[in-house]
Amino acid sequence: MIEVFAVLLITALATSLLGVFLVLKGQAMTTDAISHTILLGIVLAFFITNDLRSPLLIIGATIIGLLTVYLIELISNSKLVKADASIGIVFTALFAIAVILVSRYADDVHLDIDVVLMGQVLFAPLNRIDILGFSLPYALVHLSIILLINIIFVLLCYKELKVTSFDPIFAAVSGFSATLIYYILMSLVSITAVTAFDTVGSILVISFFTAPAMTAYLVSKRLSRMIWLTLIIAAFNSIAGGIFGYFTDTSISGSVATVSFITFILVFMIQKFTLSHRKPVN
Amino acid sequence: MDILTSYSFIIVAFGTVILAIASGVVGTVSVLKGQSLIGDAIGHATFPGVVIAFMIFGMMETSVLVIGAVIFGVLAFWFINKITSESKISLDSALALILSSFFGLGMVLKSYVQGNSNFSGTQGIDDFIFGQAAYMLRSDVYIIIAAALISLLIFTIFYHQLRIYIFDEAYSRTIGINKNLMNTLVLLMTIALISVGLKAVGAILIVNILIVPAVIGSLWSNRFLNVLVIAGISGGVSAFIGTFVSTAFTGIPTGPAIILSLSILLILSLVVAPKGLGSKIIQSKKRGANI
Repeated sequence: MIEVFAVLLITALATSLLGVFLVLKGQAMTTDAISHTILLGIVLAFFITNDLRSPLLIIGATIIGLLTVYLIELISNSKLVKADASIGIVFTALFAIAVILVSRYADDVHLDIDVVLMGQVLFAPLNRIDILGFSLPYALVHLSIILLINIIFVLLCYKELKVTSFDPIFAAVSGFSATLIYYILMSLVSITAVTAFDTVGSILVISFFTAPAMTAYLVSKRLSRMIWLTLIIAAFNSIAGGIFGYFTDTSISGSVATVSFITFILVFMIQKFTLSHRKPVN
Repeated sequence: MDILTSYSFIIVAFGTVILAIASGVVGTVSVLKGQSLIGDAIGHATFPGVVIAFMIFGMMETSVLVIGAVIFGVLAFWFINKITSESKISLDSALALILSSFFGLGMVLKSYVQGNSNFSGTQGIDDFIFGQAAYMLRSDVYIIIAAALISLLIFTIFYHQLRIYIFDEAYSRTIGINKNLMNTLVLLMTIALISVGLKAVGAILIVNILIVPAVIGSLWSNRFLNVLVIAGISGGVSAFIGTFVSTAFTGIPTGPAIILSLSILLILSLVVAPKGLGSKIIQSKKRGANI
């Protein structure tokens, strides 16, 4: 049981850390698109390897994730279609192909609907790997590595991320490659999403990415503070939701998403209340 | 050509074609207003409504489940509106939050219902996520027809107000068009079509039939009426092709097949339509030659 919560916690930290910049850059729905389309990458890679544990699945999903971002940019930059419409066009088309492939050719494998949508964090401790003599859940090791990579990325590119999030024009003038940072960020989003896919499923991972960062964004004015708050809120949501789901025997990732929403709404209401009762400053 | 005359094909094709025509027309408003993804959030958000309606009434009757879907669609939009208007959260983030949280709630309820022996016949719930047009009944098609006709009727009555409201909001206010009324009407038509379309196309992909026909229409013409007509026709034609393909070949679900035909139609339009890439390239070459 402890291991289930550990996997949830690490997933929540790895996703929400990137979520900070997705929320600041207004890319939450692009992430939504990626989390749907990586299914196509997983399915295609699965057809090649016939092994759901193959690292090729992560590569395939990352490529499709980047392709999604690229196609969205391509269509909206052509000025023929608005940005939000191009997100809707690209992800539904790629997701539809994935659904057709699964139901026509892979109906007998374990890529079933519930796993795709909800993940199966309860089964995470069943797949184990030996590291330095310790037997650890595969997902835990995997996600910890991803978390570490994401932390290193944020630490190394902190200044660039900050400038490109808050002042894209200044970033362009001072010679930062906003596009490069953006594509690295989106690659990490794809890698993180596909790694978390097994655990929390393709749609609920959006909640893991965005909800904690949005809650923190309501009450913070500084980026550093927002990051800390995001991680604390993500930890709280994942553990509280995990406990609820575990003991009521309902979908754990669904419970985390529901708790995350309640946390957001509470902070939203408290903040509105305190703002409206603050004495006007002359 | 046996398929074309088979009873189940006629039922399903009739339902999906009418749904896609109405969605194409109504979806045009959101696309031109730059609010395409609200349909996506509402589509996902209707899911817990379907499960709750099932829990309360204990039956998989579409007419009952549609009511739950509509209520949660309205609730989702209310939250989106509240969050974006009363905090610094952007529409993009608010949509992602509502979409995933509501869907998460739906998943919690679904796992509760399916693990509880008090509820029977729960397999049908999954049909509303990905759509299961093959199981559509005659009564499902009647509900789609009713929603589509009412939507198109409202659209026709308010056609002139809607047109002015879309293209010139400031002017529409000066001539006394009620902005809130227009918003509410568009929203209710959208939610109604999403809710009745869930069984045919599914909660995840339904946004496609609201967006893509309108985008195709706007690539072919600048005139509002033409855009609407082209959107309706391309929606209807794709729905027919998609339903036919999924009936003719085993293992191809109807919703995704419709979306794939719409996508192919869109790619063709992007290349050959008068406002598409092909003509842009020709124009820029001509301009180059003149210089």
